[in-house]
Amino acid sequence: MHGSIRGCAMSELTLNDAFAPSARKMTEAAPLRVLIWRRFLRHRLAVVAIVMLGLVIASAVLAPLSRYEPTQQNPTNALQPPSLQHWFGTDDLGRDVFTRTLYGGRISLTVGLSATLLSLLIGVIVGMVAGYFGGFVDNALMRITDGFLTLPTLFVLILIATLLREIPALGLTSSVLIVIFVIAVLSWMWPARIVRGEFLRLKHRDFVLAAENIGAGHSRIMSRHILPNTVSLIIVQGTLLVAYAIITESGLSYLGFGVQPPTPSWGNLLATAQAYALRAPWLMIFPGLMIFITSMSINYIGDGLRDAFDPYSAR
Amino acid sequence: MRTYFLQRLLHAIPLLFVLSIVLFLVVRSAPGGPLAQAERNPNITAEQREQLRARLGLDQPLHVQYITWISSVAQGDLGRSIKTNRPVAEMIGERVPNTLLLVGAAFILTVLIAIPLGALSALRQYSWFDYLVTTLSFAGQSVPVYWLGLVAILIFYVWLDNPFTGGPLLPAGGMYTLGAPKTLADLIWHMILPVAVLCSAWVAWYSRFFRASMLETLNADYVRTAIAKGLPRRSVVYSHAGRNAVIPLITMIALDLPSVFAGALFIETIFSWPGMGRLFWEAARGRDYPVLMAIIMINAVLIILANLIADMLYARLDPRVRYE
Amino acid sequence: MKLNLPNILRRQRTLTATFILLVIAVLALAACGAPAGAPAPGDASAPSQIVVIIPEEPASLNQYHAVAAIVRQVADAVSAPLAAPNAQGEFVPVLAAELPTVANGGVSEDYLTVTWKLRPDLKWSDGEPITSDDIKFTWEAVSNPASGNVLSLGFEKIASIETPDELTAVITYSELNQAYLQQFMYGILPRHATGAPEEMLQWAWNRNPVSGGPYVVTEWNAGESIVMDRNPHYYLEGQPYIDRVIFTIVPDPGAQMAMMAKGEAHVQLWPGEVKEVYDAQMNGMAAIQEIPGQWNMTLFFNLSRPFDNDPGAEPPHPILGDLRVRQAIAHAIDYETIVTAVNPGVIETATPFAYGWYQCDQERKYLYDPETAKALLEEAGWVEGPDGIRVAQGAAYAEDGTRLRVQLNGYTNFQQLVKLEEALAEMFKAVGIETTIQNDDFSIIFGSFDDGAPRQLGNFDILVYDTSLPMEPHASIANTYMSTAIPTADNPAGNNASRWVNARADELIQAAGATVDLDARRAAYCELSDLIATELPRLNLYLFTEGYGASNRLSGYEVNMWGSLSWDIQNWRLD
Repeated sequence: MHGSIRGCAMSELTLNDAFAPSARKMTEAAPLRVLIWRRFLRHRLAVVAIVMLGLVIASAVLAPLSRYEPTQQNPTNALQPPSLQHWFGTDDLGRDVFTRTLYGGRISLTVGLSATLLSLLIGVIVGMVAGYFGGFVDNALMRITDGFLTLPTLFVLILIATLLREIPALGLTSSVLIVIFVIAVLSWMWPARIVRGEFLRLKHRDFVLAAENIGAGHSRIMSRHILPNTVSLIIVQGTLLVAYAIITESGLSYLGFGVQPPTPSWGNLLATAQAYALRAPWLMIFPGLMIFITSMSINYIGDGLRDAFDPYSAR
Repeated sequence: MRTYFLQRLLHAIPLLFVLSIVLFLVVRSAPGGPLAQAERNPNITAEQREQLRARLGLDQPLHVQYITWISSVAQGDLGRSIKTNRPVAEMIGERVPNTLLLVGAAFILTVLIAIPLGALSALRQYSWFDYLVTTLSFAGQSVPVYWLGLVAILIFYVWLDNPFTGGPLLPAGGMYTLGAPKTLADLIWHMILPVAVLCSAWVAWYSRFFRASMLETLNADYVRTAIAKGLPRRSVVYSHAGRNAVIPLITMIALDLPSVFAGALFIETIFSWPGMGRLFWEAARGRDYPVLMAIIMINAVLIILANLIADMLYARLDPRVRYE
Repeated sequence: MKLNLPNILRRQRTLTATFILLVIAVLALAACGAPAGAPAPGDASAPSQIVVIIPEEPASLNQYHAVAAIVRQVADAVSAPLAAPNAQGEFVPVLAAELPTVANGGVSEDYLTVTWKLRPDLKWSDGEPITSDDIKFTWEAVSNPASGNVLSLGFEKIASIETPDELTAVITYSELNQAYLQQFMYGILPRHATGAPEEMLQWAWNRNPVSGGPYVVTEWNAGESIVMDRNPHYYLEGQPYIDRVIFTIVPDPGAQMAMMAKGEAHVQLWPGEVKEVYDAQMNGMAAIQEIPGQWNMTLFFNLSRPFDNDPGAEPPHPILGDLRVRQAIAHAIDYETIVTAVNPGVIETATPFAYGWYQCDQERKYLYDPETAKALLEEAGWVEGPDGIRVAQGAAYAEDGTRLRVQLNGYTNFQQLVKLEEALAEMFKAVGIETTIQNDDFSIIFGSFDDGAPRQLGNFDILVYDTSLPMEPHASIANTYMSTAIPTADNPAGNNASRWVNARADELIQAAGATVDLDARRAAYCELSDLIATELPRLNLYLFTEGYGASNRLSGYEVNMWGSLSWDIQNWRLD
């Protein structure tokens, strides 16, 4: 498992450093906002991507309009190929794959967004504190960050699952929560590093010194003066984390540790479909396609944002 | 600066020690145990199972088990596997070459493909070539790798046949053709699909990365100045921009090197490749603690070293970076 | 450090050229047909070879260390049993000339002396003779406390073994061993080719055994494959028929299926899929060969309150502690749909004692009837809430307002189990029971008390998994249904996970344990079965079939629920 996540981790490393340089050129964000938006609109593929993502989100939101229930079974009608009645065919219990894919989108998108927010929250706080205070605090926090990189994913997963299960009130959706927590715990290190880097760089700037001189406190300087300058970076990082989280969720499902049935997620739909690859390939094609479209769109949006934030952008 | 890194190296020792305790606790306090298989075997009675626990020392208090383990590791003995009773070092030794072969080949290929790809798409930003590379690299990172693996097997093993022999176009997995002599050609033959699938995701990341850092340097003042001064564009691109753009790439490669040891679980599973990823996964599922802890600790050492090396390379290559 | 990026970039063209060369090389490889693995069928002179897919690697081929079931599946191809059960569940002699019985004088009247006679002229795979001394050595080795033996075969009951001649071993028991025929069914060990008994865990023999079985290991590629060739000294003339057997480790079910469907592999152990679905995927290349098996799919109700830091039987489970709720659950299950559509091909059963000499003809006490289920729940104080899920209002053990929610707890990576859980969840919902599913890692579900396994600690609602009983079931039954077998800190290995306390059950089990009369024992077990079906500490659903996917080119095999995949590998033929 470690291997797999390292594989993904590899991607993470890319993001941070890749998008750090361009954003470094950013100064004050507020007056640029309109400009940035205009520049973003010029990135045609990114605009298409926004539309696509909008469609995916809409399909997930409107899932209840489907004429089937996601858990409604008809075992005698199992593994039917796509047809007019069942656009994406039926699965091994005769459930409508189209409906399950839409509902799966709700879970996968929720996982993607929540895990990203949580990961950014932890990462930004750690990075902020480490970069701002520097010295011993920085050293300690960064070594802890290194330590987290060495954690074996599977055991983090099992431990979190066990801890959360002791809270029966979480009940029904606990496996979704577990997956969210796990992805956040395993991915906050990358935003933390970028934010730290930016804080190290910005903390000696004039506007920070000026704020210090008029007697602003540490937390005020961190949150009001330096943090806004890193927002563009964090947004770009966030879009990519969403894609990473969705892919990771499916990986966890393949290993049997994802969102628990009967709740559908794109990941567990795919994982179940593996065994029917020969007989019913449509089971693995459609959820795979949804992951693909979503992740693709998010990547393009991230790309568009990066360009938009970049004052040297050629457009 | 040398003092800084020496200090970091020294700090790594207590860090590893603390990590060994934390990781031991994480692994051992997760529920589940190595005797679950015995529980499923109708020929093993409950009494026998308890005897087995005692023989393995699993009935000892946790701190005693930790001390036993760490002191034997300190003497260079990784212990014996609970499952196979063989020395852990031997079991890891069997798998490391396979993993180095698979992941290493994919890694080298990735870098070789990604650098020119990223550089070219940066030089021709917003050209059709750039769009194509961008799209392909987004595609590569937008699908779960196990899914891509199975689709690859479906296409190249199940659906497509070799026009010359009538057999499958490419093998479904394993390292060698079963029952045939082990030849290099056969090995390469078996590596094509898994390496290709691994690369598809990695090339994406690396070329994007290199494109971004290339763009950054191309827009940097010193490059613009150099061009303004009338230096030939070609040489500016190669010697000024290229050289600086490759710095972050090198640190990234350093950071990713431990994954060559850790293996690629999904690919190894789909393509039946006997590598480290699977050894770790099997040990984790079976709670084979000695194997598990050995791999986790080796990995921790490698990750910490890689981080240190990455920082060092960065400091050496980029004069703007200073550590104190 | 000097970087030479320009060169890298300039090499672009070289790279393209390299790439084209690579493609050409690949095509060349394809043309040469490098992977000319199995020889073409019909080529009589070529050695025959089959590929057997196994999902995981056996830790050892020494069956006395066989903790995991996979070991025996492979090891039987190299093992030398004196006698072993056939597909009908009867013991037949293998290396023994005949079965020792009281009638032929092989067993004394008091069953304390058993005389085994070997077939003449038997040889190990290295050409050394197999003698009665090897039988004696097997006892010495396995009964050594340091041997690491995990199987319960009664070697400690043997007082001595005399070897009056090369072919005869006279075993004297100090106490009765009812399972004396099983004594050497996991193979005898060669004294000359193994090692010291106390070092048995580390014998090189464990992975490269000098074999008395049909095959010998020629190659063991860690994590990848185990190659076996025919044992030239095997006792059956002209057998095995197939020259080479390759056990290959393929973990992914999709890849396994693909290899079977393409005919590259001939046998697939544990296909994890029901026959109907499997055969349809294979397009006639292979099919599952199956017989009723011994894995009994069961719901285990927790009768005690979970998460109260008390593994004992009290206090009762707020929902499942009430018999009427368990009855309602039993009435809510559409057994017909489950065995015909959800897991088609399985065999319905209502008893834990579904096979063997102790088999009971148990009727279901609570048939599928949602209306009765609803009525029982009403009566038990669970009234329908606004969203259709019931809430407690005057229930026996639950506070008013508690939702009627239970969790099904199974293990991961087992698709048929997931299907069953999902189907049950729908059926429960139909009578107003909300159901969640939590599947855990194998080593959690079957972990021990000290590992914090929820099953041993009593932290679950309903466990769902399959269990099995051995040919001699008493120890297992006593450790599962006696009130003294509830797992606690003092009795961590207890297996009464339901926390069932029933005085009559205790009496019946003790009575069965006190007699050697099989009929009396069976009667006691069947009354126990009836009690279980009525009181519902567990609910038996169905038996899985036993079997494996086999290529249509393979013949001569017989599926054996008491044996392993490779128990009759010497009879297999490839057409």
